[in-house]
Amino acid sequence: MTMITKRARKSAARLNFSRPLSGLFCVLMVVFILGPLAWLGIRAFAESWTFPNLGPDGWTLRWWSVVLGDETLGRAVQNSLALAALTVLVSACICLPAAYAFARYEFWGRRTFLIGLFALNAFPKMGLYVTIASLFYALNLMSTVLGVLIVHVLGTVVFMTWIPAAAFAAVPRSLEEAARDAGASKLRVFFSVTFPLALPGILVAAVMSFLASFDEAQGSYLIGAPDIMTMPTQMYTLVLNYPNQVAAVFSILLAIPSVALLLAAHKHIVGGTLAEGFQIK
Amino acid sequence: MTLAPTRGSKRRAIATPAVARRPLGFFLALPPIILILLFVGFPIVLAFAFSIGLTGGLNHVIASIGLNVHEAENWWGTPAAYIEVLSNSRILRDLSVTVGVTALSTVTVIFLALGIGLFLKLRGGRIARLLSGLAIIPLFIPVVIASWAIVTFYSGDGFVRSVFAQFGVEAPVWAFTMVAVVIGSVWTSLPFAVLMITSGLQAIPNAMIEAARDAGAGFLRIVVSILIPMAFVPILIAVTFTAIGVVGSFTVPYFTGPNAPNMLGVSMSNYFSAFNQPQQSVVMAFIVFVIASGIAAAYVWANFRSAKDQGKV
Amino acid sequence: MTLIEEIHSTTPIHRETDAGGLRGLRVRGLHKVLGGRTIIDNLDLTVRDGELVSLLGPSGCGKTTTLRMIAGFLAPDAGSIQVHDREVSDLGAEKRPSAMVFQNYALWPHMTVQNNVGFPLKLRRLGKKEIEQRVDAVLALVNLLHHKNSRPARISGGEQQRVALARALVQEPELLLLDEPLSNLDAKLRVKVREDIREIQQRLGITTLIVTHDQEEAISMSDRIAVMNAGKIEQFSRPAELYSRPETEFVATFIGSLNRIEGALVNGVIVPGDDVVGIRPEDVVFTLHASFDARPAVVERVVPHGHFHEIYLKRDDATLRAFASGLPPAPGDRGHASIQNALTFRQGRLVTTTRVTA
Ligand SMILES: Nc1ncnc2c1ncn2[C@@H]1O[C@H](COP(=O)(O)OP(=O)(O)OP(=O)(O)O)[C@@H](O)[C@H]1O
Ligand SMILES: [Mg+2]
Repeated sequence: MTMITKRARKSAARLNFSRPLSGLFCVLMVVFILGPLAWLGIRAFAESWTFPNLGPDGWTLRWWSVVLGDETLGRAVQNSLALAALTVLVSACICLPAAYAFARYEFWGRRTFLIGLFALNAFPKMGLYVTIASLFYALNLMSTVLGVLIVHVLGTVVFMTWIPAAAFAAVPRSLEEAARDAGASKLRVFFSVTFPLALPGILVAAVMSFLASFDEAQGSYLIGAPDIMTMPTQMYTLVLNYPNQVAAVFSILLAIPSVALLLAAHKHIVGGTLAEGFQIK
Repeated sequence: MTLAPTRGSKRRAIATPAVARRPLGFFLALPPIILILLFVGFPIVLAFAFSIGLTGGLNHVIASIGLNVHEAENWWGTPAAYIEVLSNSRILRDLSVTVGVTALSTVTVIFLALGIGLFLKLRGGRIARLLSGLAIIPLFIPVVIASWAIVTFYSGDGFVRSVFAQFGVEAPVWAFTMVAVVIGSVWTSLPFAVLMITSGLQAIPNAMIEAARDAGAGFLRIVVSILIPMAFVPILIAVTFTAIGVVGSFTVPYFTGPNAPNMLGVSMSNYFSAFNQPQQSVVMAFIVFVIASGIAAAYVWANFRSAKDQGKV
Repeated sequence: MTLIEEIHSTTPIHRETDAGGLRGLRVRGLHKVLGGRTIIDNLDLTVRDGELVSLLGPSGCGKTTTLRMIAGFLAPDAGSIQVHDREVSDLGAEKRPSAMVFQNYALWPHMTVQNNVGFPLKLRRLGKKEIEQRVDAVLALVNLLHHKNSRPARISGGEQQRVALARALVQEPELLLLDEPLSNLDAKLRVKVREDIREIQQRLGITTLIVTHDQEEAISMSDRIAVMNAGKIEQFSRPAELYSRPETEFVATFIGSLNRIEGALVNGVIVPGDDVVGIRPEDVVFTLHASFDARPAVVERVVPHGHFHEIYLKRDDATLRAFASGLPPAPGDRGHASIQNALTFRQGRLVTTTRVTA
């Protein structure tokens, strides 16, 4: 009796949100998001699979040795990691000063520049790579590391500029002024006040850039294949030439760096640092 | 006038400090701009020239490699390639499929992201937080893997059909159909939309909602009249980025979609590599670009308008 | 001559003249536990029809929590809330006959002033014409017709406050609730707006409950004041009475200023004891010449407060604070200090008031 009135009061104080409906929504979302990943992931340890069964016929680690023993696949892993690290580095050098400028200076063309960066995002990736390819043919950049690197860096410019710019803008000016007041030089102020406070935003940008590079398949394939193969481009050939289980093992390997980064930067990404970066001010 | 210090005026004061109007900012901002002008702007101009049949200069190599290249006889170009592409019924079908998939995926993504965001804002609790965390996961899964996982999940011997088969029901095969393309697009676009929309909704003070309830508004009213208009800009950003991402996508339709008709991203790549008809491929890129810029323009316009509405400009 | 008035310990803390058949607000046995702590403890409160009552108390005592339960944003664990004799505690906020003015006004930034105020009426499905008429009328009432089409971000804090008030008034609520409605305004504007609110409230005869932690605000606006402490109402009475006859030691120290001395007052002198003697500074009289009941005192410190001074007087029995207007004495000055009125508390409750008449 008292339970009932308590429940009634609770729902009166909150807005009505149908309980069974939201429960169903949650279950469907779990299946929708995690289902495919789990379904593929299990295959990495599966012997063979007979159709209507919900589990494999047996378990094995055989596929792991196939992948780990394959030299081309190994090289693709190395290529991907090195390329992603290099991309983040280059992109940071190019974009972070600009991010600071967007946050702290008012200059001619500031808004145009910000929107110009956005326009890059509006041109379809595949179309962009096709057009870049025709330029790269002329410049002899096809199938070169530099060519692939350029394509990867292009894919990170928006993240590396917008998100840190928002982070720099969020650092209160009064903190910088207090440090100046205490006698610190401009450079000193930047490295001991501004930079540390903006670090979460820069970190998120770096993570997103790393993932973007690690994830990049279309451009790398078009510009780099078959000489320079990364993990995602290898995946294209893999799924056609190997049994499903090998692709599953490869997928798990491919997902490891991403998941590690997810755990490292999860708080900041969910905390709104990413979202904050996408509102032009 | 005695204006109260609003958020807008404060932000403005930060954005336009008197001391900072110096060329230094301009030069600091230059490197990414140059990079983009060089490797995006310039290729696009070049490609546009190529698409209208101007095959001289840097376009010479590609024009000589490619098949079926329309060359212009004069300096202003020829629309021949556009005419050819736009009168090709297979490409037109690809175009309508592209528009359809983009619209459907965007609507679904925004609907789901709004659902999660509203759940988190209005009800809260552990389940809501878990749900929003769950929706972020695809952000960290490479699209190639995601596409492949979705194909396996919805394929002829996939999970969905297996589960239905347990009850003796023959479920449809969605892999390699446009359904799978929509599912894949939604799956990969969801995190960004959820991040944008939840953070937009969370930024709305609870007092705004309570004031509406106090005025007599129910759930739907609050969502339609208060929450959506107040989170309009983040929602719009989510819409544009989702739509732009889907309209130009390649990996998802390439893995999960049928051979034909498929989205323009796939046809573009086919024409470029498999058919070796780069000019037609570039024309398709410009068609997609026109659609995407339309969406982007809506975003820029709305961003300005809302800034004006709230007294920030 | 010293008059001592005994206070009977049976004196009820809340005095309500009309118990049953009441219009206005009636709260009984309200209880709320939050985060494992009892925030509101079995609270009773009655606001009569057309009355303005202030809920006054220190920060964190549970004022906002109480108001939010009355408005319907928070579910009480126990207790009943009646508005005009109708139980509302099971209704959602959107169904209650009360309207609230929020501390930060909570004006919707995407709507004009006119649409903000008209929103509650729109929800009631009134005609466009009628909405416009009523919005105009209420905007005229708060003197804001000229800002009809402005956005909230473009008008000043005081104007925003009046828009929030208009949005509540336009609903013609049976109960008006205000949560620290003036705390965001500067000192001058606060005085003006509180007079405006009081004037409009009296003109419309609207039952009103205001939360505040500013005693001056409460005293100047209210018909009655409920002083709250740690989730309970310590005293509920008229402003003047609250000051002259605080029922508890807490109320005495919270309202106005008080010399609090442990001991007892015997013939104008403080002697050791278990009780607590409370003396208002204005009841300490300092003269240069000896007089009836006065004892020698030395000025220790003088603190200026603008139009008056606070002086610290050291007597042989205690140090007392007194107020002085006009030319203040200087530290080190010698004179005589007498106590004119005193309150004696035992275990926190008032037991006697002592009045010395010359
Ligand atoms: N959701 C909650 N969970 C736990 N404790 C809470 C919660 N909400 C409020 N409290 C606590 O309840 C007490 C009363 O809070 P309330 O906001 O009612 O105080 P108040 O009297 O309005 O104070 P102020 O004058 O500072 O506004 C505070 O100690 C606060 O910390
Ligand atoms: Mg409060």
